[in-house]
Formats: sequence, C-alpha cells, structure tokens
Amino acid sequence: MSDTPVLSNVTYDELVTGARMGPYAEHVSAAAAAQLAGAIGEPVAVSDAPPAVFPVLFLKGLRRAMGGIPPGSVLAKQELEFHAVLPVDSDVAITVWVGDKQVRRERPFVTIEFDVRSAQDKQVVTGRKVIVWPTGPGQEAAA
Amino acid sequence: MSADFGGVRDVVTQDAIDAYAELSGDFNPLHVDPRAAAASEFGGIIAHGPIALQAFFRAATGRLGVEALPAGTAVKVTYRAPTRPGDTIGCELRQEDGTELLAECVKQDGTVVVSVRATLPGA
Repeated sequence: MSDTPVLSNVTYDELVTGARMGPYAEHVSAAAAAQLAGAIGEPVAVSDAPPAVFPVLFLKGLRRAMGGIPPGSVLAKQELEFHAVLPVDSDVAITVWVGDKQVRRERPFVTIEFDVRSAQDKQVVTGRKVIVWPTGPGQEAAA
Repeated sequence: MSADFGGVRDVVTQDAIDAYAELSGDFNPLHVDPRAAAASEFGGIIAHGPIALQAFFRAATGRLGVEALPAGTAVKVTYRAPTRPGDTIGCELRQEDGTELLAECVKQDGTVVVSVRATLPGA
C-alpha cells in the first residue's frame, strides 16, 4: 500500500456508484491480528483473524480504491457480515465499490461496499461503511 | 429473555491512535494532525471509529469463547460521538433470546460513542 497516496482528493461529485474497484491484495499477519485481538496496546496471539481485523481491511481497501483516505471524512455507520473464519497469515483480496451517495440533513453521506475474499476466492466478510464525505455536491476537494 | 454480561474497558491514547493509523493506512488529519483537527468541527483529535468498536469485538468474542465471530454473524454499528485521546471506553453486552448481542460502548462521562447490534447464526 506504500505506493498509494496517504490522502485522497476524490470529490463527492466524482464518486460513481456501482463501479467495482480492485480486487486489492492484502495480507493478514499474525502480528497485526494479535494487535487487534487484545486490549489496546496489549497484543494477544491468535490463530484466527479477530473481527477487528476487518474494519482495518476496509480502511486499506478504501485507501487503495480512493487513492488515499479522504481528509476530514467521518465514519457514521458500519456493517459487517461474517461468512467464514480466516486463519492468520492469510492473503485476502478486497473489492470496493460505491453503493450509494446522497445528501441528508445537508450532509453528504457515501456508502462504500466491501467484499473480502480468501486466497481460495471464498467470501470471508462483506460489509459497508457510511461515511460523511468531506465535500458535497458542487464542492472542490481541499487543497 | 435477556442477560447482562461483564464488559471490557479500553483506554484510548494518541499512541494507540497513531498505531491504528500505521496498521490501517488511515492518516486522516482528524486522527493524526493536531492543528488540522483543532480547526475542524471536532475542535481536536478524534480516534478512528473502529478503535471504540474494538471493545465490543473483544467483549463479544470473550462472551462466545471464540477468536473469530462465527460464520453467519452480522454486525451493525452506529458511531454516535467521537472518541478522543484520554477517553476510557467501556462496552457492556446484553444478549436477547440467544440470537442477538446488543451493546453500547460508553466513555467515562456517560456519552454513548458506539451502538452495536450483532445477529448470531441460527437467528
């Protein structure tokens, strides 16, 4: 992911619903899984990926799909459906797409969908994030 | 029928936020840039939302006695308020009829930061 910019300048107007992005290859290491299994700052060794791994994979997928994380974006809702247990030290493929975009209460809400699959192309976790996008209709991204 | 179970506590620090940024690749200035965060609607650094959710996941897997949530589990999360460095997040679970886990993650002043409804397999 080091070749992906840190911050995105994709505006609300540029988001196209339904267009699949990816799949993006990521690795779920034992060290990362341990860090996410225990209390904050207290890693616990695990053999299966704990659920907290998947919001991290969603963020990795978002960054790669959007060419960075939209600066000033705020997470409002998140849903995850668990389809299979993933052993640690596994490779995964993340597909990302914009599911919906709409302005509610004068705020631009964007739903980003995620599909995380194992190296054997088995669906592991699906889900979505509803994000308050940092730009609304007709607005430019911050410099 | 419902039952209450002991919850978990997490203390959120800027070091933890920085570590989460490294892990996830999310260096949104709201999380890691004090000057930019101070100029935002939040008036200062806020943690990545899933950091507060981690307490729920730990409580749920502990309750179920598993490392990973079983296939067929569905989790719906609403982020209700920001978590800031120095906050302590507590998460208490309630199980309804053996098929749903409900939780509210609350910070030290009683503010609910995250609400969660998890549907377990077989529901």
